[in-house]
Amino acid sequence: MELDERLLEEIISRVMREINYRSEKLSKNNQKLNYKSVFEEIGIAKPSVDVKEVVVGIGPAFGITLHKTLSGLSHVDVLKEVLAGIEEEGMTPRVVRVTRSSDVAYMANQVAKLSGSGIGIGIQSKGTAVIHQKDLYPLTNLELFPQAPSITLDIYRQIGKNAARYAKGEVVTPIVIPNDLTVRPKYQVKAALMQIKETELVDRDGQFIEISTTFQKGSA
Amino acid sequence: MKLIAGVDIGNSTTEVCIGQMDLEGHIQFCSSASVNTTGTKGTVSNVIGIEKALAIALNKIDKNISHLTEIRLNEAAPVIGDTAMETITETIITESTMIGHNPYTPGGEGIGIGITIPLDKICFTNCNEQYIVLIPETVTYEEAARVINQNIDKINGAIVQADEGVLINNRLKKKIPIVDEVQFIEKIPVGMKAVVEVAAQGKTIKQLSNPYGIASIFGLDAEETKYVMHVAKSLIGNRSAVVIRTPKGEVKERVIPAGALFIQDTNRTIVKCNIDEGAQSIMEKINALGIIEDINGEPGTNVGGMLNKMKDGLAELTDRKMEDIKIQDLLAVDTMVPLDVKGALAGEVSMEKAVAIAAMVKADKLPMEKVAQTLEEKTGIKVMVAGVEAVMASLGALTTPGTKLPIAVLDLGGGSTDAALLDENGTVRSVHLAGAGQFITMLIDSELGLNNLSLAEEVKKNPVAKVESLFHIRMETGEVIFYEKPLAPKLFGKVVVITEKEMIPIDKKISMEKIVHVRQKVKRKVFVQNAIRALGKIAPLENIRNIPNVVLVGGSALDFEIPELIMEELSNFNVLAGRGNIRRTEGPRNAVATGLIMSFAEGQI
Repeated sequence: MELDERLLEEIISRVMREINYRSEKLSKNNQKLNYKSVFEEIGIAKPSVDVKEVVVGIGPAFGITLHKTLSGLSHVDVLKEVLAGIEEEGMTPRVVRVTRSSDVAYMANQVAKLSGSGIGIGIQSKGTAVIHQKDLYPLTNLELFPQAPSITLDIYRQIGKNAARYAKGEVVTPIVIPNDLTVRPKYQVKAALMQIKETELVDRDGQFIEISTTFQKGSA
Repeated sequence: MKLIAGVDIGNSTTEVCIGQMDLEGHIQFCSSASVNTTGTKGTVSNVIGIEKALAIALNKIDKNISHLTEIRLNEAAPVIGDTAMETITETIITESTMIGHNPYTPGGEGIGIGITIPLDKICFTNCNEQYIVLIPETVTYEEAARVINQNIDKINGAIVQADEGVLINNRLKKKIPIVDEVQFIEKIPVGMKAVVEVAAQGKTIKQLSNPYGIASIFGLDAEETKYVMHVAKSLIGNRSAVVIRTPKGEVKERVIPAGALFIQDTNRTIVKCNIDEGAQSIMEKINALGIIEDINGEPGTNVGGMLNKMKDGLAELTDRKMEDIKIQDLLAVDTMVPLDVKGALAGEVSMEKAVAIAAMVKADKLPMEKVAQTLEEKTGIKVMVAGVEAVMASLGALTTPGTKLPIAVLDLGGGSTDAALLDENGTVRSVHLAGAGQFITMLIDSELGLNNLSLAEEVKKNPVAKVESLFHIRMETGEVIFYEKPLAPKLFGKVVVITEKEMIPIDKKISMEKIVHVRQKVKRKVFVQNAIRALGKIAPLENIRNIPNVVLVGGSALDFEIPELIMEELSNFNVLAGRGNIRRTEGPRNAVATGLIMSFAEGQI
């Protein structure tokens, strides 16, 4: 291959365009941080070695542009129940906002890698949840709760408990969830819209943001 | 040159062996196969299975059914077994006097004594009294913690309906013992003196599981202390407990009138035996009698119904009247079954005594001729019903290297334990006893509370392991096995059964140690006991020591630990015992089918 001046110019201009694009995107992201979140953000989340820890990963729009799940449960209540479940089992809960993906499996798997116990829970803004483990392939899971509208607050508490039991290495009985055939036709459009809203806030180079577990900021 | 097939139809598997005889009468074994028996043993529906097994075995040596000269069926021992179980004790709590359950996560630690009171009434009480608060599900943990903190000086303990013990405890200024997951909290009497005890993590309660401990808290006299014995006993091993003193409440262990067995021997002597005396006493009485004619249960009792149901099922199976079904042997085993406690407030479970029974019925003669006829019509090959199963099994077992006459064969099957003794003169003594593989499966299922017979079957046949991470498991022997690729996520953290094909998770909170313990205990109770019983009956002068060698055959001899357990026991009698190795190649399988071919050769010479 010949590396003449014109080619070089072309390469440089493309790289510059990419850099400009990125910085533009970054500044857009910084604007995103000005979004009002109901949760108190306390910095960038780092991997931990505390084996008592279970990390809950919430979606990019969770408590920011969206405040309720598909079935109308408040995000604050949902998160509170999951944390209570973890605490009741004697483990330490941690909350991290994932901005790199709005896919519940990737969210959960990524926070599981930050978690000292290797166990993470992913919760999307529409309410879909999954319990994950750091060594699993992203698209597998320990327990998946795909039908968001069927998940009640009690079940969110159970999800927290089961995740904590996995972290303790106990024998865990999977949670039984009623299967409602009418969920799909009833919620498909709403679910799609919510997912689009969540994905709008995805930033592929985004950071993991640590959220205070007391998160009492205004609404409750 | 003649090609002969031996076919053995068993309760669970149909085995075939193909042999080739040259002109001088020497037999050469060519091939064998084993398939699941189709239909009930001895019925025409077996033919499908036989044909399948023959095709598999012949295919291995590039032949087909038309090459066969003769097919030999065994004269199957006409015994059919069945199993049943009945609990004989139950625990009843009256007037809600105690809560002794093991919530996963109680809160706090220590012992708290006080008067029971609902949480919303605590503000109206005076400060001179000490209280135990009752917190219903409707109160959130934050609210409960707030109220307790306000009244912390007069609260010594808490009983919580929801699973929130740790959550409340984490929010309290002073640590108090908290028992949670008490389902029927509204039934707890208010205004009574109560004690809440929660042990430290990894420990069990001390005070409330000791009758004198309860007596010293409530100031009981000697007579009253006697009554709290059952309370204390049922709390042993718990991490948390509550005992409430009410005027009339008590915990009883009630013996259910389980009924009696009437055992009749051939001399028409009838022996009565009460079920609640336990398995040991039943077995002693059965063993003391000679040949049993029939066994009946007392009408209108649990055991009566149990035996009738069994006979009814067997009558249907063999197409005969129920009156004609005679139980010829019975194996009773003491077992423990986890059952819900009656009147319990928190879904407590107590291990109740139960007697499990395996019974064996002798049919007149299974319609083997009919099977033979059908098979002959279908294949066009001469089919013979040849030889008694016990004789054939002994002949086949003799092909195990290192054996000699007289030889005893212990056939550990699915439905029955059979034994046969072949001596130098060619005489054979045989016996069929109730209780074998299926009985063990039932006992494992009930004692572990699995409620899943196919899982119990796998637990019986395979070792268990604990999945410690996605990349390694710890076997029951303590050995660790590592994996290159992550295991399936559904296995994570579980106790799994390691079968040849896969790992099956057990979705119950049962420890690996408990599973191993129950599995081995049950196998001992059934097979070791039956081996001694069977050999005792066929041994010369009824002394097991007179049998020089015992060969274990049959499906259960393939088990990874049953042969060892039996060997261990028989070595006490100085008897040489071991797993058979039929024709040096087949292991403990195929003894009867092999025997059938050998008997053909003898017939020709």
